[in-house]
Amino acid sequence: MSEILRMEHISKQFGDFYANKDINFDVQQGEVHTLLGENGAGKSTLMNVLIGLYQPTEGSIYLRGKKVEIDSPAEAVRLGIGMVHQHFMLVEAMTVFQNIILGDRRYKGIFIDHAARRKEILELSWRYGLNIDLEAKITDISVGAQQRVEILKALYRGAELLILDEPTAALTDIEVEGLYSVIDKLKSEGKSIVFISHKMREVLHVSDRVTILRAGKTIKTLLASETDGKELANLMIGRDLVECEYEKKESEQEPVIELRNVDYNKTSKHNGLNGVSLMVRKGEILGIAGVDGNGQSQLSQIVTGVTMAEAGEVVLKGCKVNHVTAADFIEKNVSHIPEDRNRMGLVGNMTVEENLLLKSTQDCAFCDLNGWHLKKKAMRTYSESMRVKYDIRCQGMDQEIRSLSGGNQQKVILARELEAKPDLLVAVHPTRGLDIGATRYVRDNMIAARDAGCAVLLISADFDEVLQLSDRIIVMFEGKVMGEYSGKNPPISTISLAMAGK
Amino acid sequence: MDWNTIAEVLTSAVRMATPLLFVALAELYSERAGLVNIGLDGIMAFGSLVGFLVCFWTGSPFLGVICGALGGVLVNMVYAFCTVTLAGQQIVYGMALNIFAPALASFIYRVVFGVSSTLAQATLMKTVSIPVLKDIPFLGKLLFDQTPMVYAVYLLVVVTMIYFNRTKSGLNYKAVGEYPKAAETMGINVIRTKYIASIICGFLAGMGGAYLTTCYVNTYSDGIVAGRGFIALAAVIFGRWSGSGVLMACLLFGLFDAMQLRLQVGTDLLPYQLFQMIPYVMTLIALTIFGSKIAGPKSKGKPYYREER
Repeated sequence: MSEILRMEHISKQFGDFYANKDINFDVQQGEVHTLLGENGAGKSTLMNVLIGLYQPTEGSIYLRGKKVEIDSPAEAVRLGIGMVHQHFMLVEAMTVFQNIILGDRRYKGIFIDHAARRKEILELSWRYGLNIDLEAKITDISVGAQQRVEILKALYRGAELLILDEPTAALTDIEVEGLYSVIDKLKSEGKSIVFISHKMREVLHVSDRVTILRAGKTIKTLLASETDGKELANLMIGRDLVECEYEKKESEQEPVIELRNVDYNKTSKHNGLNGVSLMVRKGEILGIAGVDGNGQSQLSQIVTGVTMAEAGEVVLKGCKVNHVTAADFIEKNVSHIPEDRNRMGLVGNMTVEENLLLKSTQDCAFCDLNGWHLKKKAMRTYSESMRVKYDIRCQGMDQEIRSLSGGNQQKVILARELEAKPDLLVAVHPTRGLDIGATRYVRDNMIAARDAGCAVLLISADFDEVLQLSDRIIVMFEGKVMGEYSGKNPPISTISLAMAGK
Repeated sequence: MDWNTIAEVLTSAVRMATPLLFVALAELYSERAGLVNIGLDGIMAFGSLVGFLVCFWTGSPFLGVICGALGGVLVNMVYAFCTVTLAGQQIVYGMALNIFAPALASFIYRVVFGVSSTLAQATLMKTVSIPVLKDIPFLGKLLFDQTPMVYAVYLLVVVTMIYFNRTKSGLNYKAVGEYPKAAETMGINVIRTKYIASIICGFLAGMGGAYLTTCYVNTYSDGIVAGRGFIALAAVIFGRWSGSGVLMACLLFGLFDAMQLRLQVGTDLLPYQLFQMIPYVMTLIALTIFGSKIAGPKSKGKPYYREER
């Protein structure tokens, strides 16, 4: 086996913050080397350095023993490094074929030689078992197919080293199996793979070696065959992981919200709802399990009044809702932890204090004259108390919220939404992108809200999270409800089949 | 109306559409690389002055048009530097061009000619008719008895259509406007493409401006552009960011322009200002109807930084 890549003492600084500090990493030919670490451990930053999207502050990169300067992605492509990004780099308005040949410099000529390129791509796709309709538009194909396009794109450019950044995050179990077989095929052809993940199970399954990153530093490199999930997890978080179990409850109380045969954008598999019926009772957590992009976003928008159902009934606290706005739902004490905290949950350029009080501008504790005059002192006292209560770590109440870490941003949302003492809490991916400590904090608070009698609708693509928190579980697939299961001793294999539409 | 009148109006429509078409193509190239340039009016104003001056001094309208185009490039480089290199807001710097460039043009004109009541006059570009084709009844006069600028712009429409639909480079160019980060990871130089787009945009918009003073009227006066840059901007949206669409939109707006001129002459019952409004009102109507479902390049208007986190 020969060494294909070595990265030595790589550091990458953003302002005062080191996303990578003195990282060493190497890849042998024909191996799968995993980079394992929590969100924010610096995995993606390191790979962006490798593909020339970021310039390292310090350190050097060697390819097959020769020192290289990768100053642009074009250079990385030329050197045979390809990356499948977590957020796909595909131009949605173009076809699969067009996406694959983008930026291709190997052939002379002004015009696109459709027939020849097509033949070449088809040969590649056949060789690696990557089936794709070349003339389809990117918007019309599934997430799994989009990923195959990304892999094909890299191979078409002659990639010898392929970086897969959290490739399984958006895939169904069956698609994941397909990906594994593609990886095996690539290995047998002598290609090397950097696999990025934080999921222990797949890491052990797929890798030859594992390098653990924590807080921007390399912790250790291990052979996958000589380690186990527990050791990896402990190295990843830097302390012993204490499994926690929440008590499950069966609520017999009245439903707070009920959906009856709700349709929304019915024909879409990824962005619609098709005849969804469900209810959430007081004092229980209903978990929605399912792979991302099976109608969860639309569900969350309907139960928070952001959008209207196109057909069917929505019953909130015993009243049928007809024409609604999000403001009506807020008035009815519905709280929402939105799926994208930066786009929907917070106003990035406003301060911590202002974000904490966004929903309370009409509250007479904080203003006079119907909101025409703000009581600055009362606002400050309140927000300072929230900072203590929710352990929000920031420089001060006047700090812009976008400069806070994801965990602290989420705590601000949590403070704002839970202090309203909601009757219904809709939490969408509440711990996405958070480290283990912040995750634990958010989950504890959701359980506490439930115990205080709040109805909680938890929508999460993290199956383990749904299992851990939910009193009842509903599985969604392509906009439909596939089944309902008890949260106590849930039938895990049945549920994961349901998530794949079986 | 008889055939002659119709032919006259249509010929005039083609002539009116030409500057619009230059400028709309300029915007098309700009927006396809993700740069929304609302400074077209400013670029045109500067181009029209430079075109006029060169034509006045050298007596050559062709040289005037070329220099007007280069003047447009010069002005648009300010916009390119601010929006591409400094990643500033495109609307802000486009607006800045609109304020700065016409004022600069007006200043230079006064420095050169002083303040006087008589307008300096330059030679106009002559029409060049194409033998044989010009003898086709009706169409001959309409399409093949025009200035070379008219032929050039229609050729440019065809080239643009082929470029964006058939060539590798055109595909890469479009990717920059759709998803610059993806383009960058595919080895396309996003910054360079955006600068090229700005050069093309400045060149064509400057040329559109110079057309006004070398082919349309033989003098320069302040406000000669008269909002044509904004009409061209609307034509790009109306034409759905495609070469053929932009052509149709410009011809339509040119037709309205020609009609209003004709109507002004034809009647004295109504004040002529009312007819002058027609092209602008039609632009507004077209945008209201077709502008709502905005398609177009996905990343247009957004600044691009490579090291964004």
